[in-house]
Amino acid sequence: MKGKVGVLLAMVVLFGVIASGCIGSQETSETKTTSAELTGDFVKDVLAIGKALESNGVNEVKFSAWGSGDPNSVMRVYGIVEAARRINKVWEENGVNVKITITDTHYVASFQDAYQEYLSKQPLGQAGDFFVNSYAFLPTLADEGYILDITEYANAYKNVIDDFYSSLIEASKFKGKLYGLPQDTEARPLYIRKDVAAKIGFNLEGIEEKVKNGEFTWGDVSYWAKKAKESGVEWGLIHRKGSAHPDLIQFIFAFGGKLYDEDSGKLVVDVPAIYKWLYVEWKFVQDGLLPKDIMSWDWAKQIHPAIVEGRTLFDIGGTWYWTEWQTKEYYGKEGTPRPLKPEEVQAWFAYTLFPAGEKGLKPVTLSQPFIWMINSKAGQQNPKYDELEDLYHKLAFLMVIKASDPDINAIHSVISAHLPVRKEAAKLISDEKWLNDLKNLNLDLDPQVKTNIKDIVATTVHPINAKFLADVSYMLEYTKLAPAHPKYPALADIFKEAVDKVLRGEMTPEEGVNYIIQKVNADPELAQNVEIVGEIPKDWKFP
Amino acid sequence: MKDVETRPKKGEWIIVLTILFASLPLILGFALLIISSFSRDMVTDLSLDSFRPTIENWINVFQGRLAITGGIRQNILKITLNTLVVALGVSGIVTLISTLAGYSLSRMKFRGRKLMMLLLLMLHAFPGVALIVGVYLLYRLTFPQEPSFVRLYSFFYVILARAALEIPMSVWLMKGFFDTIPWEFEWSGIIDGASRIRVWRQIMLPLIKPGILAVALFGFLAGWQDLIYVRTFLIDQTLATFIEANIEAEYSHMPLIAAAGTLYLLPTIMFFLTAQQLLLQGYSGGIKG
Repeated sequence: MKGKVGVLLAMVVLFGVIASGCIGSQETSETKTTSAELTGDFVKDVLAIGKALESNGVNEVKFSAWGSGDPNSVMRVYGIVEAARRINKVWEENGVNVKITITDTHYVASFQDAYQEYLSKQPLGQAGDFFVNSYAFLPTLADEGYILDITEYANAYKNVIDDFYSSLIEASKFKGKLYGLPQDTEARPLYIRKDVAAKIGFNLEGIEEKVKNGEFTWGDVSYWAKKAKESGVEWGLIHRKGSAHPDLIQFIFAFGGKLYDEDSGKLVVDVPAIYKWLYVEWKFVQDGLLPKDIMSWDWAKQIHPAIVEGRTLFDIGGTWYWTEWQTKEYYGKEGTPRPLKPEEVQAWFAYTLFPAGEKGLKPVTLSQPFIWMINSKAGQQNPKYDELEDLYHKLAFLMVIKASDPDINAIHSVISAHLPVRKEAAKLISDEKWLNDLKNLNLDLDPQVKTNIKDIVATTVHPINAKFLADVSYMLEYTKLAPAHPKYPALADIFKEAVDKVLRGEMTPEEGVNYIIQKVNADPELAQNVEIVGEIPKDWKFP
Repeated sequence: MKDVETRPKKGEWIIVLTILFASLPLILGFALLIISSFSRDMVTDLSLDSFRPTIENWINVFQGRLAITGGIRQNILKITLNTLVVALGVSGIVTLISTLAGYSLSRMKFRGRKLMMLLLLMLHAFPGVALIVGVYLLYRLTFPQEPSFVRLYSFFYVILARAALEIPMSVWLMKGFFDTIPWEFEWSGIIDGASRIRVWRQIMLPLIKPGILAVALFGFLAGWQDLIYVRTFLIDQTLATFIEANIEAEYSHMPLIAAAGTLYLLPTIMFFLTAQQLLLQGYSGGIKG
């Protein structure tokens, strides 16, 4: 009897051990399906995540994409739609019963407005899962914990990350950690009217090289602008306006100044460089080469028509001007305003870097890259979010990787005249066959994407435009970024006020510099974040 | 002898001209906005050359397009409907609460009545912007965890929050209207056996129609044109946030924005045109005794 009881007890214990083992192994298996390691093999990773989601009963993943900017830059959200389609295709081909649905493609014109909206809705879990916006907002969003740190994920995809231009990857970092992937960037060339140049005997052959070498400086710009004026051309120079567009701060860099001190983390008011900037602008107005009220000119009725109608020799603009002139009715010289043809833009405009301020200094350009950021709550609208957060976040990262595919990036560049952020995309732009396929929309794209970019493609895809992008890509090697500092917009506003007052003749350049210093010191918070360095040069002369 | 007081006709045209002159900037602004919405260029320089007629802007607006070529399409009808829901919601709540509260403050004696009236007046002194941090905190505390309720709740909350800003002044306004009605009207109803709520509904409310309309209109306008509360709390877009988010001076097609702006103005203008007679009674106050 005792023996039977002993056997029975032993069996119960054995059953208990086996059962607990089984239960234990089941737990282990469940733990495994709630996360997936990224290996760098895109298909493998996508399948691992898809299978893990499927095993957890998730068959649909909902994401939303928020973007902003000019109407031609819609690939900022449609890139995500296309990435979802490509991932869905991988799952479908491999029998994984999961599908990504993009529930909302929210796109507005004002990127500042989009940023404000993201700030107010993110804490409530109601902001887009993908948010593409200026790099300037990245530090604040990262600091607040509103966007995902993708440093570790990106380590697995080093091959892709290395294909991005390194300066743009640096712009996507905050305190050494990666918080997004570059989506696009641009350069701000100095446009020169070829017909006006020919009329005044200004030989443009080799001008790009002369600017690159610092041989052609702002003194030369002034010289030729005067010649143009003397020949009856209305203006010598037209430039952009407003503080949101940081074009004019190129003068600071061109005169060897700086705007940000990385060691102290403070903004810099570089007095000598700012004085020279204001002096050049003031002198241009005094000589009648630049309108004194340019800062209040209307974009569509004054600034662009003056440039496209050849009423100025020089223009400080952006790369996107190239296609903007082809899509908007700015040219009214023949009566009813019309857009320019690609051939006209090519025939009428030469383009160079922003020349050095003086001999011995370097030319520059300025970029404001847009970054694809991932909401730190990405995937929140999906089932079992708390349990599967890691899977949703990694899937969101893989979507951004896919949305950065060279062809998607190249399509965006060509139709919006922004510069590609990946070297592979830059190569694609020069591929004539691919351009033809894009022109005919003979590409494997989501039907929704095709429908929505059809009109833009018809007006912008042209070998001349692609050549332009390829030609200006080198400018990224000279690019400077405006400081991604939370107080920079306040400082930029002060710069704008000072420039406006100097141009209108209400202040001398010296008074303009003092005005900037006083305004900075009058705002205690700004004063704490700004270093004022150097003095107004005494013997400096501008031709 | 004249049975009504009349102004001498002499010099009347000077008054009319002065009023017209004073209103000119406003009329001109609206006129240019409407004209620009039918033009390929903005007509902002009073030059006829700028006016190049087209209905393309209106077609684009109704198609929810933000630009002439391509771009993202927004569902403008849905955006208009959202705006209408918020405006009517605010209007309804403000009207209901202020007619009830105005009546009780005008007709009933209860403890704390004067203090409540004073507090209401003080509350009105606070601008909505000053309260937004507290209102946002409350929003976060009461926010539903279930994602499917979020959109609905955001409408509910923005309507309540916006109505709360309008209610203090509206209550005072309605109290003023109830004060002008002689007690005899109410007494006759009560003597006939009607309850206070029936008296309020069947006797008092019909007598203060102009006041109700005024309060409803102000509530509607508050909801229709609100930007800050809508942008902060509402998940969906309204016309105000749609227009604001798409005005980017450099690359927005301004005539298209002018068309959206005109569409935004239409209900307000229609409301005023159809209700102006009643509103004038509201402004002059009083009833026939």
